[in-house]
Amino acid sequence: MSWALVAGGSKGIGFSIAEALAKRKYNLLLVARNHDDLSDAKKILEKNFNIEVETLPCDLSLSESVTKISNWCTAKGFKINILCNVAGSGGSKDFPELPLNDLKTLISVNLESTLTLSLALIPQLKINAPSYILNVGSLAGFAPIPIKNVYSSVKSAIHSFSYSLRYILKPDKISVSCLCPGPVFTKPSIEKETIDQMGWLGKLMAIEPGLVGELAVRGMLGHKMIIVPGKMATLISYVLRLFPGQFIAYIIYYFRKQNKIRK
Amino acid sequence: MKHAIIHFFICFNCIVCFAQSKPVNEGQSDTSKLYALVAGGSKGIGYGIAEALAKRGYNLILIARHLDTLQAAKNKLESKYPIHVEVLAIDLSFDSSADQIAKWCTNRNIHLKVLCNVAGLGGANDYLSFPLDSLRYMVRLNIESCMALSLTLLPLLEKNAPSYILNVASMAGFAPIPVKNMYSATKSAVVFFSYSLRYQLKDKHISVSCLCPGPVFTKPEIVKDTKAKLGWFGMKMALDPGTVGEVAVKKTFKKKLIIVPGTLAKISSSIIRFLPRRWVVSLYGSAGKKKSK
Repeated sequence: MSWALVAGGSKGIGFSIAEALAKRKYNLLLVARNHDDLSDAKKILEKNFNIEVETLPCDLSLSESVTKISNWCTAKGFKINILCNVAGSGGSKDFPELPLNDLKTLISVNLESTLTLSLALIPQLKINAPSYILNVGSLAGFAPIPIKNVYSSVKSAIHSFSYSLRYILKPDKISVSCLCPGPVFTKPSIEKETIDQMGWLGKLMAIEPGLVGELAVRGMLGHKMIIVPGKMATLISYVLRLFPGQFIAYIIYYFRKQNKIRK
Repeated sequence: MKHAIIHFFICFNCIVCFAQSKPVNEGQSDTSKLYALVAGGSKGIGYGIAEALAKRGYNLILIARHLDTLQAAKNKLESKYPIHVEVLAIDLSFDSSADQIAKWCTNRNIHLKVLCNVAGLGGANDYLSFPLDSLRYMVRLNIESCMALSLTLLPLLEKNAPSYILNVASMAGFAPIPVKNMYSATKSAVVFFSYSLRYQLKDKHISVSCLCPGPVFTKPEIVKDTKAKLGWFGMKMALDPGTVGEVAVKKTFKKKLIIVPGTLAKISSSIIRFLPRRWVVSLYGSAGKKKSK
């Protein structure tokens, strides 16, 4: 029986990835902060699909969590061949109003946990090859976004990391993919923020959480490197990649300024 | 069609460059009380930057891990230039460092005009063979310390505006290098951070620049490594830390966003930025393989 570990799999994009994997008869290991969310997710998944679900509550922003997770996997003898690093947070504040502690959490949850968890589990993935790693980046990782500075910087590191990792792990038959979604309305607050910041374009780019997971898993199992769910988001991603970073940053700054003046 | 698109972007870049290179006075009027903080300023590129700032009459605050190298740098700079140098032996990867440094500066009422985030760590084969703690150390030093210092020193820089922030990334930040996985990922974050920060601080009259050097011969190992991996091309592209520091400071005061010292490095960096990342990864990858044979 093969197992898939989804870090941050109790809610949002992570849950929808878990669902798509369950549909394909993978047993699931879900890791997240909140115990109640985890047991809810476990109940739903076990009821709808004929699979086993194990959960481990732990905070991925703490450095001891990674060792805890890898020890848990070895101790229970799970044969993992899929790792999905989904845990992340966008943070509502940004430079220059960002509190120092939020900055640190943003970096450790979004970047550090992905880097360390992948490294800790690569030995197990190697044994169970062919296996898959799915990192979650963002459309914001393609170009610097001055209103989501820290988030887009950290996600760009995830993209760069995924490209390199894919290359390094090719001989070991581990395929690395990077999911780069546009806005996904997993919470009402995100929907409001997106429409506030990007207007109609944000609405067009947005995609429902259920679909993101399905497309992500399909892309990952098809050995795709960059997975951008949705047609509009794909189009935008090309624009972001094609233009110089400075140009994108300037455009966003300029429109923000115009908006502020109008208000 | 492809050529036309590439051509368009080259033209566009030129326009952006020209638009930026308005004549600016270098703020040399009275620097006797003004300070520049160089995080990682005791050796290598950081020392090169410190020297270039000293030449322009700025007093310096140097931060690094070891007190002895700091003291040596202080003695050298103070004997050569008529400036005052303060040193702080602090490990920038610690959680409390940024707060500690900001407090130190505020308590002494330092007129901070320039912040240079130079401290950083890199190496070859830096992912699969690394322990978890080294990964964390790299993330904290290369990304977090740069963001945290910019954040905690912002009030001081704002008070002394117009002021300058110089972040040191690398050409590796433009595209992923498989054998330097961690290094290029962290440096890519620094490049993105600088782009965005420039626009976020524009209205506060703080200019943000990002230095992206190619190989810089700061240590004998780097000379050997560059020769083995990049061959004659790398040797041609490489620069010494003194030149890099001088170019970096000069362009920072001219408010340039991306600073790539050296003509050959400049050309290679613009090629790297245009090509799809996938291609660059396999290009870098094959260069790495040649070396291991």
